[in-house]
Amino acid sequence: MSVVSAFLVPGSPLPYVQRDNPPWGEIAAAMETTGKALAASEPDLIAIYSTQWIAVLDQLWQTRAVLQGLHVDENWHEYGDLPFDMKIDVEFAELALKKTAEAGIKAKGVDYDHFPVDTGAIVASNFLNPDGNIPLAITSNNVYHDWQMTESLGRVAADSASELGRKLAVIGVGGLSGSIYRHVINISEDKIADSAEDDWNRKILSMMEQGDTEALAKACPDYAGAARVDMGFKHFAFILGAIGGNFNGATVHAYGPLYGSGGAVVEFDLD
Amino acid sequence: MNDGQIIAGFLAPHPPHLVYGENPPQNEPRSQGGWEPLRWAYEHARRSLEELKPDVLLVHSPHWITQQGHHFLGVRNLNGKSVDPIFPNLFRYKFELEVDVELAEACCNEAADMGLTTKMMRNPNFRVDYGTITTLHMIRPQWDIPVVGISANNSPYYLTTEEGLEEMDILGKATRKAIEQTGRRAVLLASNTLCHYHFHEEPVPPEDMSQEHPQNYAGYLWDMRMIDLLRQGKISEVFKVLPQFIDEAFAEVKSGAFTWMFAAMDYPELPGELYGYGTVIGTGNAVMEWNLIKAGLAKAA
Repeated sequence: MSVVSAFLVPGSPLPYVQRDNPPWGEIAAAMETTGKALAASEPDLIAIYSTQWIAVLDQLWQTRAVLQGLHVDENWHEYGDLPFDMKIDVEFAELALKKTAEAGIKAKGVDYDHFPVDTGAIVASNFLNPDGNIPLAITSNNVYHDWQMTESLGRVAADSASELGRKLAVIGVGGLSGSIYRHVINISEDKIADSAEDDWNRKILSMMEQGDTEALAKACPDYAGAARVDMGFKHFAFILGAIGGNFNGATVHAYGPLYGSGGAVVEFDLD
Repeated sequence: MNDGQIIAGFLAPHPPHLVYGENPPQNEPRSQGGWEPLRWAYEHARRSLEELKPDVLLVHSPHWITQQGHHFLGVRNLNGKSVDPIFPNLFRYKFELEVDVELAEACCNEAADMGLTTKMMRNPNFRVDYGTITTLHMIRPQWDIPVVGISANNSPYYLTTEEGLEEMDILGKATRKAIEQTGRRAVLLASNTLCHYHFHEEPVPPEDMSQEHPQNYAGYLWDMRMIDLLRQGKISEVFKVLPQFIDEAFAEVKSGAFTWMFAAMDYPELPGELYGYGTVIGTGNAVMEWNLIKAGLAKAA
């Protein structure tokens, strides 16, 4: 299999820009741990699917060789800037575009100076690929694509890597439960805003730890609805598609609140 | 200083296609035109704005989405290159704008006093969203009037439509109080499309107008019904059916700008002047003005 490692991580910028806040610092530390695990898997490239790169018309793949700049999150601007410096595996992206079209999904490359790279992709890249040494492939979340289409995008990533003989790390970037605090809180007391959603998050993470993919497949649609999960949990669908739907178990490096919503750093056991 | 007033409100949608079709020097991509009826509608709006001579333009944009509160641009000078994440092939625009920070702070404080969560955006590296920029370019391409940029809190999507729009109503009332207190002659810009059903593929070239028409007939009928009511000044009736319009036409007015603007103007039962209607990739867009000076509801300069 071309996929050598797979991870589920939150796309919130809060652990990156305010790691000295204990609830977010735990997630930041786990992201760094995960970055080491990713590096140890010695991938040739990393495929990132981020729920925050919203597309409407097509499935978009970054095809610009170098992405550099300074991003400011539209909601959390007061916490500062998100610098980024990313190398894109353009050969991979071009092949993924072709294979996406072959899968029946209209696709387009994005190669524009100052294109607004999304917060989630930047946070994941900065934490898990801190030196920027590993080339990336970044693809969008088309809001009209369902779970199955998103799984097929994951398969496209794996197939493209396989055809090119590349070892691939896969990162699904997005949150768990989606209820948030809409008012200003004392951030040091941040917690999951809804206890029922907290229960759901823990149940799903437990299934991941056990590698119970059958139960997960059944539970995910209910979970997505009941816990207001970020974009229907499609970032997990992308991972499942890439790894062929199976994993042996998972390590939950951290689980915690992100202004009331849920976030977890999960490493899947593919051996 | 307490004689500020709102002198007009415009329904001023933000499809980046309109900037692309116009080929201004600030936008990189070049076109052979397109969407002329809507662009000509904006020419009418520009002429009217010139006569109004406002101190400030306030724009509420659905493409600056915030979860924790209603945010206001709070840096005096902002500039950069705005690339539309959905239509980067059409909109790569170099902008430079001046913010009326004093008014923005007043709006922020008034809204907070009225119970909303609010926040000033003070980061000088902030990238202004393409909705704000497109609306401002289309209404005033000279960029010589200070602006107040207001985010679209996601409350109509996170809560119910009605609960979310109640927040926008409060935001509008707070905006009015802030304008009155700061003595500004203000024009409001509701950056909203009407029916938002759209095609999922772009024609080649994108400005091929032989491919442009309403994507959804029921949505088109809804647009005509709403515009007809607005042209007759039946504003209370418009707001009675607004949630149904939003649900059935997938209308972008759900994001709040339309309600914010009318709340700020105190929902005048005043006929709006329709400058033009047209579709953009199938969505319905109207450029309309409510001139409060002509209606005797505000004083001329």
